[in-house]
Amino acid sequence: MEKRVLSAEENSVLKKMFIGSHLVFTCFNMTKMEANGFTITMAPAIESIYGDDIEGKKAAYARHQSFFNTHAVAFNFIAGLCYAMERDCKEGKVPGQTIDAIKASLMGPTAGMFDSIFFNCLRVIGAGIGIGLCSQGNILGTLIFILLYGVLQSVLKYILLRLGYTLGTSFIDTIFNSGLMGVATRSASILGLMMVGAMTATTVNVPLNWVINVGETSVVVLDLFDAIYPGILSVGLVLLMMALIKKGKRPTILIIGLLVVAMLGAAAGIF
Amino acid sequence: MSITAAIACAAVYWCIYMLDQYLLSWQCLNRPLVVGPLIGFVLGDLNTGLVMGASLEAVFMGISAIGGSIPSDCLSGTIISVTYAILVGGDGAMEAGLALSLSIGTVMSSITNMFTPVWAALAPYWEKLAAECKPRKFLIQNILVDAVTALPGVIIIFLGVAFGIEGLQAGLDACPAWVMTGLSAAGSMMTAVGFGILLSMIWSADICIFFFVGFIFAKSLGLSSLGIAVIGTAIALTLFFLEKNIISAKNSMAAVGPASVPGPANSEEDFF
Repeated sequence: MEKRVLSAEENSVLKKMFIGSHLVFTCFNMTKMEANGFTITMAPAIESIYGDDIEGKKAAYARHQSFFNTHAVAFNFIAGLCYAMERDCKEGKVPGQTIDAIKASLMGPTAGMFDSIFFNCLRVIGAGIGIGLCSQGNILGTLIFILLYGVLQSVLKYILLRLGYTLGTSFIDTIFNSGLMGVATRSASILGLMMVGAMTATTVNVPLNWVINVGETSVVVLDLFDAIYPGILSVGLVLLMMALIKKGKRPTILIIGLLVVAMLGAAAGIF
Repeated sequence: MSITAAIACAAVYWCIYMLDQYLLSWQCLNRPLVVGPLIGFVLGDLNTGLVMGASLEAVFMGISAIGGSIPSDCLSGTIISVTYAILVGGDGAMEAGLALSLSIGTVMSSITNMFTPVWAALAPYWEKLAAECKPRKFLIQNILVDAVTALPGVIIIFLGVAFGIEGLQAGLDACPAWVMTGLSAAGSMMTAVGFGILLSMIWSADICIFFFVGFIFAKSLGLSSLGIAVIGTAIALTLFFLEKNIISAKNSMAAVGPASVPGPANSEEDFF
């Protein structure tokens, strides 16, 4: 594989994306988590790729508003990859669904990997050195911590963004030239579905706390559901939401509905 | 304690809350090691700030915030306890400050839980705004909303430093329990909407079983996401190369001529 030299346009887009990517956690919320940060990071790429193509632009912005959550450094790798994919999406080489699937499949494992590298390892090392110096009243401890943990992450964000882009471009070219895009999309969707399933198990929770008293015996309703399969309520909730969205229900309605159900349920002692 | 100190602490909280999100990745500038000396500097006792920052960092080191939920807020904890140690002073002030950091942590997380569903309910608005294709407007509104998101915390810090944390705790206890339960239940179910939207894009009947496979791997086998990713990649790659071989076999047969295509090849293709 020959080393690709990035054009001036690509370099400037990547630089803007790098700056934008620091807003990973902007307006972090439980519905879409890092979606807003991703949209802001992708904005320079979308603007440069789609230009006057309003319909394509709209679709791309909507695409990058979907649920997203990973570690702040891995975030940049995936953003770089998405830049490459969006470029080929405009040329019709990559269907939009592939981008969704690849994002969904990458966020879970990268989050786990990078959290343990940075949060559980690098931060502990940096903080260890920092604590030693600071407890003696030395301000260098703070600076070393910022340098080791913060600045290093920023530098890696820059490197991984470019890496994601170059890898993405060459990978997509290889797949496209062999005419396997359809197959690749299906494979990515399989991995994506599995990862969303795994994330459903770990993050969606229906905290039912409902006990029905019938005479002497009391029935814990959550146990009844868990007897069918542990966590079946989380799966049911996610599938219900998907079914409603496919039926054309607006997310606003769903979110307000969930809020109402939760408050009424809590008042009635169900939660 | 004092109104001036309260304003200074609230301002530091606001600045760090915003900067931690925008600079140097995440959970760096809001750590006790950075906030402790900063509060010390603002209140004119850098040395206490440094020493307290080091002790607090050790306390909060074990409390990690992986996956978006923060069990105890180290930013507010550090601000309150360092301020207490500096303003009250004397023997044992540092120890008392450390103890305070945990109680402010619980107050803070209850209040944050209260607001979680509110910010989650903004998601559809962001979707609509993004579709307007105005990145600058989107960016500015995000930053403004971030500044507003910080406000409950800013107010708690201000009241906590100015009038003590006990009052806050009492006020919180007066709120009926079901309100808290309901809000936190809503927060833990909101993610289902995000997943629902995501799933609706990649769902197709012939591969949807893998959603359940992933769920069972995580729920019943307790595998980490990296472990599930390796298994998933193995399945996805196997299928990919299988179908690739079928396609290339089909192509080479088509090159030889339609007459020589044997029956089984077609039925195999139908099978997948």
